[in-house]
Amino acid sequence: MKRYRQFTKWMKGYIYLYVIGFFILMAVQYLRTLTPLFIQHIIDNIFGDEPSALPMFMQRMVQHDTIQGMLLLVAIVSILFTIVRLVFVFVGRVLVSLFTENVAYRMKNKLYRHLQNLSFNYHSKAETGDLIQRTTTDVETFRKFIGEQFTDVFRLFFLTAFAIMQMALMNVRMTFISLIMTPVVLTIATIYFNRVKKVFDRVEKAEGKMTTAVQENVTGTRVVKAFQNEKFEMDKFAATSERFRDESMHLSRLMAFFWSGTDFLIFFQYTLTASFGIYYTIQGALDPGQFIAFLALLGMIVWPLRQLGRIVGDFGKTSVALDRIDEIMAEPSEHEGDSDFKPQIDGHITFRNVGFQFDDDTKPLLKGISFDVEPGETLAVIGKTGSGKSTLMNLMVRLLENNEGEILFDGNDIKTINKRHLRKNVGIILQEPFLYSKTVFENIGIMKRGAKEESIFNAATIARVHEDILGFERGYETVVGERGVTLSGGQKQRVAIARMLLENKPVLIFDDSLSAVDTETDIQIRRALMHHWQNTTVFIITHRITTAMEADKIIVLEDGKIKAYGDHASLLKEGGLYASLYEQQTNLAENIRKEAV
Amino acid sequence: MMQQFEEETYQDMSLNTATWKRIFSFMRPLRKYIILVIFFATLLAVADVGYPLINRYGIDIIIEEGDLSLLPLFIGIYVFYMFFVAGIVFAFIYTAEKIQNHLAYIIREKAFKKLQELPFSYYDRTPAGWIMARMTSDSRQLSDILSWGLVDVTWGGMMMIGLIVVMFILNVQLTLITLTVLPVLIYLSIFFRKRILKAYRDIRKQNSKITGAFNEGIGGAKTTKTLVLEDSNYQDFDQLTDRMRRHSIRAAVFASLYFPSILFVASIATALVFYYGGLDVRDEVITVGLLYVFVSYVGQFFDPIMQLANSLARFQQAQASAERVVSLIDADLDIDDTDQVKEKYGTIEAPKTENWEALKGDVTFDNVTFKYKKGEQVLSDFNLDVKAGESVALVGHTGAGKSTIVNLICRFYEPTSGRILIDGTDYKKRSIHWLHANLGYVLQSPHLFSGNIRENIRYGRLDATDEEIIEAAKLVGAHDFIETFEMGYDTEVTEGGSRLSVGEKQLISFARALIANPRILILDEATSSVDTTTEKKIQKAIETIMEGRTTFVIAHRLSTIVNAHKILVLEHGRIIESGTHEEMIKNRSHYYKLYTNQFKESLFESN
Repeated sequence: MKRYRQFTKWMKGYIYLYVIGFFILMAVQYLRTLTPLFIQHIIDNIFGDEPSALPMFMQRMVQHDTIQGMLLLVAIVSILFTIVRLVFVFVGRVLVSLFTENVAYRMKNKLYRHLQNLSFNYHSKAETGDLIQRTTTDVETFRKFIGEQFTDVFRLFFLTAFAIMQMALMNVRMTFISLIMTPVVLTIATIYFNRVKKVFDRVEKAEGKMTTAVQENVTGTRVVKAFQNEKFEMDKFAATSERFRDESMHLSRLMAFFWSGTDFLIFFQYTLTASFGIYYTIQGALDPGQFIAFLALLGMIVWPLRQLGRIVGDFGKTSVALDRIDEIMAEPSEHEGDSDFKPQIDGHITFRNVGFQFDDDTKPLLKGISFDVEPGETLAVIGKTGSGKSTLMNLMVRLLENNEGEILFDGNDIKTINKRHLRKNVGIILQEPFLYSKTVFENIGIMKRGAKEESIFNAATIARVHEDILGFERGYETVVGERGVTLSGGQKQRVAIARMLLENKPVLIFDDSLSAVDTETDIQIRRALMHHWQNTTVFIITHRITTAMEADKIIVLEDGKIKAYGDHASLLKEGGLYASLYEQQTNLAENIRKEAV
Repeated sequence: MMQQFEEETYQDMSLNTATWKRIFSFMRPLRKYIILVIFFATLLAVADVGYPLINRYGIDIIIEEGDLSLLPLFIGIYVFYMFFVAGIVFAFIYTAEKIQNHLAYIIREKAFKKLQELPFSYYDRTPAGWIMARMTSDSRQLSDILSWGLVDVTWGGMMMIGLIVVMFILNVQLTLITLTVLPVLIYLSIFFRKRILKAYRDIRKQNSKITGAFNEGIGGAKTTKTLVLEDSNYQDFDQLTDRMRRHSIRAAVFASLYFPSILFVASIATALVFYYGGLDVRDEVITVGLLYVFVSYVGQFFDPIMQLANSLARFQQAQASAERVVSLIDADLDIDDTDQVKEKYGTIEAPKTENWEALKGDVTFDNVTFKYKKGEQVLSDFNLDVKAGESVALVGHTGAGKSTIVNLICRFYEPTSGRILIDGTDYKKRSIHWLHANLGYVLQSPHLFSGNIRENIRYGRLDATDEEIIEAAKLVGAHDFIETFEMGYDTEVTEGGSRLSVGEKQLISFARALIANPRILILDEATSSVDTTTEKKIQKAIETIMEGRTTFVIAHRLSTIVNAHKILVLEHGRIIESGTHEEMIKNRSHYYKLYTNQFKESLFESN
């Protein structure tokens, strides 16, 4: 039941297409089993005196006085009949494809939307490759299953049922004889396709190993060449490639055995049907035309049996694919149950004893963080890698939720504010910003679609990236990531800043966002930005003391705790880490001389 | 210029004979199997054509005569046929698969060998993904099409010839009547096959866009969230999937038209047989059994035609794969030893190590100019003289030419003009492998191969003993942390070395370089920040491996730079300042500025 619902829940809303298509394809199977009856009619009824196996309404259509007239009518009716059949085939197939494509369409959209709404925490732990696999290959497996295999099962079922019916209408004993081998072939096919899966897995594994060998070789060319290990690599590759070939051959042998073996069994069935058929015909229990019709109907039953075995095997595969998709869908969206409170945000931010720790971690990343920033002020956070700077920023846009203390925006606890509203008001410029595979122009205007060229250029100019962009072969129309176009880390950072300049946000966070830009440009950009964002509350995370010193307030962070808090002058007076860093970074030359000696 | 790396090019479909000739030449070792598979496919066609004749015998001879004594013979024929078909089916599947798997193997082997010979510049301008696709999907697709295409074409062709011949023998008039639909059948098959293939190619293209969008949605999740772009991204995505849906339905409509239209033509042929064949039966020109044979044959006619049309279309489609594979296998080696050098020093596969001189380690750049193929000039009239055992630190902004100098020393590239001398001799006069055998290279982001730690260190010198490996690990300070692993030196580094920290990976790559015991060492230092203890270990390890070797360092670490015998400050491919650290700090010029701007952060980190 659970399995059943797992399959049908994706089909909701489109199932009527399938039901109609399904009945049409069922009718098609019936029509198909009529085709061998025409020749039976000619041989037994026109040239003999035996009854025709054609349905009555067709028999009536082919009545005539002369043999020539009857033959002509049979010919014409058989063509008309085929036209009806193929219209049905066409409509049925189109309906089924409308159904499958719509289901797949909705499935992909749902997955995409859901993935976007999953928490930051989920994304930072998830493996991209695995997610992609689920959203593409697994969806495709399901689509194929409902569009092809699932439909095939019913198609084959009805074809078999109707064929047996037509046989039974002619001669019951012969029908039994003609079905003797069917359970055997079906069983063997099912067993084979189940067993061959394991071999398939082995082939895939061997291919994976080989692919890895090539991949490592290609990405590690420098190492290979510098250590002169080309010959070694060739031998290593040859071994994996050979292994892959031999595993594939193993699979091929199984395939050859299966197809030839089942061919053998199927022809054994033909031998039985044909021999008994001739025997009964001579005895008079069967007519010659019926004998021919039996052979044709037998073909309709016995050849597709092998496919059925494969589909049974695929059912399990589809079920696994759906499980993997459901796993994603079962993850809660970060917006589920989020509040609708959307207060105006002015930029007065208070941290009271804020702490953060991952559920599965033993050590808190932040502890006892308290500070207060007035609207329009600038706060710098300086600290080593791993000191908790980025976690602090993630808390402010609720990418992570503080599990100790409280964060207040203009007096409102951050947890009561709608997440999207909060993020719309707090601009964050990441150290490694992500650019979308659109043009540079679109990337800058991404938050304000339809922004004027002038404002885009202006933003790019302030962010000192305008000249860089004009230097690209296609300027602002350069598509990021296409044909190997890559922007340098610094260019990306500056595009991210330009992107932010198009909107006015009461709070801005620079998460080490000029780290890849040289110091001079850094200063230039910051000056321009300060001018632009005078009334904005600004947070700056940085390595550079020269950057930090201009802020109204400075926090020195170490191991998740505030080591020192104050402005530049007070921190200098205090001595300690900040002062010694300042000393070192500004009086380098002297220090260096000391060190060099 | 990147056009050549496009996966789906819609070039015109004219036959590229040269490419196919080359591909067929790869099949030469498989000649025996090709002949066999043609033979088996022909036998299968014979069996298929013959089958209705067996039943005709039953109808016309046994049933008409009513002679039951002939039944055992009939059963005997059937039993023989049963074994015959099963045997042929086994043989042709096995042989076709054999060709397929072995051909794929041959293509991969040739391509991989080529990849080992290709100079570094090839990798610089060829995306890794492109190479991977040639080695995997293209080689698979090509061998599949060639082997099974061969079966399909042989079987289809033989089947058609067989059917027509037998039909003519049985009854000329009826045959001529049925064959009138043949041209229509062929035309329809080709018409639809081409369009269906193209429609599916469109779908695949659209599909890869969707995959890209998923990739972006997942990879860019953080940015999307912070910019609150979920809705607009979703709208873009919806456009893609909607287009995909429409393309797919269009393709399905096409595909659903194909089969019925063939069916329609076939039904006309069948009706013709019903009428004219029926008249012949009435006039006793033919027997009932023969009428049955003709009806069967009409039914059997579509299969070979559809198969042939399918093979033809797939061949056309595979041409792009074939061209790309050939372009890799026949790629020019723009850096290669001259024949005289090969004569004396040997090749990769058969090196003549007995003729290799010992390398001391003097490196001289003599008026070297270098230009990348794309055109930008990176070095001009560059001169440098380094004595054996000296260490040189290269500093400067990205694009100043640091990597180029290193690549030239390694002979990954060769000077456009001027010479590079090793121990006073132009290095082109000796083999690339002689140079590489004496060269060590430690990368910025260390590249480890899958396998265990021991194997990775041994990569530096394949005949190193376990003791030597441990010794090297000890010298670079990697031994201690390796020992803390449960499996010690047998610990798998896993793909990309992800189980080890960056610092640990670096130490292992140092051990690897050390065990190679190179005369010239290239060090491309990492900028990534590691914790303080590891940083100290790395510094110590660097000092260890540099000792007594000519070393070129693309330097980021303060300590490395400060301790170098010579520092070169590069800008736009020229040395703008050089000297020792102390000298240049005193000068307060370029180096001083670069130093104060760029290196002070590392000071902060290491504090």
